[in-house]
Amino acid sequence: MRKWLWLLPVFLSGALLLNLAGTAWANGGPHGGYTPTTDACAGCHRAHTAQGPNLLTATSTYELCMSCHGAAGTGADTNVADGKFVAARSPSTEGEANTADNGDLLGGGFVNYKTAAVTSIHNSDGTLMAAWGFGVARGQTANLPSSLTCASCHDPHGSPNYRILREQIAGNAVTVDQVDEGPANKDYDDEHWPDNVSNVCVACHGAYHVTRPNSAEDNSDNGSGNADYGGDISTYAHRVGMNYAYGGNADPEATGYGGYFLPLTASKNVACQTCHLPHGTSASMSTLATAPFTNDSALLRLDNRGVCEVCHQK
Amino acid sequence: MTPTPWTDDTPHPLVPEETTPPPVADAAEPEGLPPAEAGLAPLPSQAEVKSEDEARQRRRLWAVLLALLLALCGVGFLFSRYVRRPEPLPEMLPVPVEVNYPPHFLFAFYDVNGPLGIALSPSEDRLYVTEGEGDRLVKIFDTEGNLLRAFAPPRTTAAERAPVYVAVDARGRVYVTDRLQHAIFVYDAEGNYLDTILGPDLTLSEYIAKHTGFKPRPGTFAYDWFEEEVHYQDPQGRRRTLPRPDRPTWAPLGVAFDAQGRLLVTDVALGAHRVLVFSPQVAAQDDWSDFQPEVWSFGEFGEAEDQLQFPNMVVVDALGRFVVSDGNNGRLSVWDAQGVWQMLVGTGGGGGGLNLPRGLALDARQRLHVVDAVGQVVRVYDFSEAQPEFLFAFGTAGTLSGQFHYPNDIAIASDGRLYITDRANDRVQVWSY
Repeated sequence: MRKWLWLLPVFLSGALLLNLAGTAWANGGPHGGYTPTTDACAGCHRAHTAQGPNLLTATSTYELCMSCHGAAGTGADTNVADGKFVAARSPSTEGEANTADNGDLLGGGFVNYKTAAVTSIHNSDGTLMAAWGFGVARGQTANLPSSLTCASCHDPHGSPNYRILREQIAGNAVTVDQVDEGPANKDYDDEHWPDNVSNVCVACHGAYHVTRPNSAEDNSDNGSGNADYGGDISTYAHRVGMNYAYGGNADPEATGYGGYFLPLTASKNVACQTCHLPHGTSASMSTLATAPFTNDSALLRLDNRGVCEVCHQK
Repeated sequence: MTPTPWTDDTPHPLVPEETTPPPVADAAEPEGLPPAEAGLAPLPSQAEVKSEDEARQRRRLWAVLLALLLALCGVGFLFSRYVRRPEPLPEMLPVPVEVNYPPHFLFAFYDVNGPLGIALSPSEDRLYVTEGEGDRLVKIFDTEGNLLRAFAPPRTTAAERAPVYVAVDARGRVYVTDRLQHAIFVYDAEGNYLDTILGPDLTLSEYIAKHTGFKPRPGTFAYDWFEEEVHYQDPQGRRRTLPRPDRPTWAPLGVAFDAQGRLLVTDVALGAHRVLVFSPQVAAQDDWSDFQPEVWSFGEFGEAEDQLQFPNMVVVDALGRFVVSDGNNGRLSVWDAQGVWQMLVGTGGGGGGLNLPRGLALDARQRLHVVDAVGQVVRVYDFSEAQPEFLFAFGTAGTLSGQFHYPNDIAIASDGRLYITDRANDRVQVWSY
């Protein structure tokens, strides 16, 4: 028996290679997984007759993405305009895609969300955006190095990150562990977040990245300082990265509060996305919740300060 | 031989010698002729002849002037018409066009938000245009771009509907696919709601009829995918509800009718990208409370030659072939009349290489017009022969007249006019051969 043990690592290595071979480099579709003789490039690029930068056939990145991912869903099941997954699931594929018909996408929507008009969005149509927590206080003017587009955060050619997120955003490295959803686990309306999913937000909103309480060194503001917070940011900003139970809070994902729920990471930790929708929200804000920024729902998942109550239940 | 010298007295050899005209007899008193009483009319006098000549010349002059005036009026009319709306000569004068040259931009109209699908009425006097943004309505325009009216599925808000493609049957009934509602809504020519095709073998009126035992009248029932109940009125006019039907397992996207009256639908349900071919019974029925059409399909999801990825539209050419705009595979997929895959068209580079084909339309000469959404052009192929050939493309990227910003669909009228939805420019462009 023992003389055959040497075969074990060979077998395991082979199994590992086979497993890697089946792992897509992206979430599917035209975004990655290219063969050496792929025809996919021609979908968006022209080598000598391009109309926009990066040899694109058009000038507007937002409209390019929306030509498939818009409300019409003419080229994708992920309708990011409405924040809906619009592929009807047939019985034969029920085990391969667990997203419900018209399920709400994890990122929210740019036009509607949960069948209501959005009240705040990450405007990704090329507008120069303010990035609060990027060395400036909230409400100040923009200081992103470039205008914001879909491609600011997502890599259309695929990436090893969850949801083809870029490995570098706004000049900052982004480390987000890949969650191998695979065809059996692919799911657009249930979170399969790695614990470091907040890093995507931190690339621009670094000063809000507080991971431990009562420490002036717990933020990663990309060296831009915390002058706007007077030093110890943890005194002024909510933590992320801790387990939901810190401080004796209820489980916002499983238990919820009053029928409302919030998502957590794989280890049941709180991430920026627990409270905020990266694309856009239709949450409504009343008098107190809007102060001092009128009509600003700040990408929050729930109306007013529902996101506070789901965990803290005051 | 010595040439004869020329003098003033001798006639020039190259000048014909002047001949003396014969004496003219006095017309009034001809000699040797019998008198008038003998039965012959007297010859007109010289003055009378001159007068007649002058009259004839005047008449001729007036005729020429009249002709010139008419021509001037015609030119003036054409000029004024051209000034008001520049059009190519073939459109102003009904000249049959037999050469292959790209069409010309005529004008655009703008009362639309992110237009996606477009279809002409059977009489070609109306356009139906779906909106992908704003209120997401279906709008009716005349062919000059004047908005006539707009409509939408009953009981839905803008956030609950996503109309995409539109087709009109021979009776003028309008079929609109909806990506959020997973259904095809059917309206009359005025946009009044008639019924909903919930799946390949179920309509909303049929569902209600099966559960209530009576056939509901159009306009008295409705179902919104996001609600849990179907709403209807019973024969006494009382409002009633039914539990919603089982959710369909299809995702209708493209919709069209072929010459036989068959309803063609592209289905992009997860993992089952295909083309559904409904028997002509659908278009022939007065209502669909008993909806049992024969349906067959071809195609499956994938990148292989005989597979499809987001088929957007399908047409049937004169040879009976199905031509599918295979969107995310960037090509046209051609299938025979039995649904057996034949060939690919529009792959590779060059003018005929497709980026992201969407809307399709064939003209009378079997020229297939393919809207290339990301290529920002319309590419035209000759499908009159067994082997299709690329002819030309028209349009460029941009926001000016004749430029496209993510166009999506096209309709062609028999007079050679082309109507193209220019999505990101929020307009419909009108071109003409």
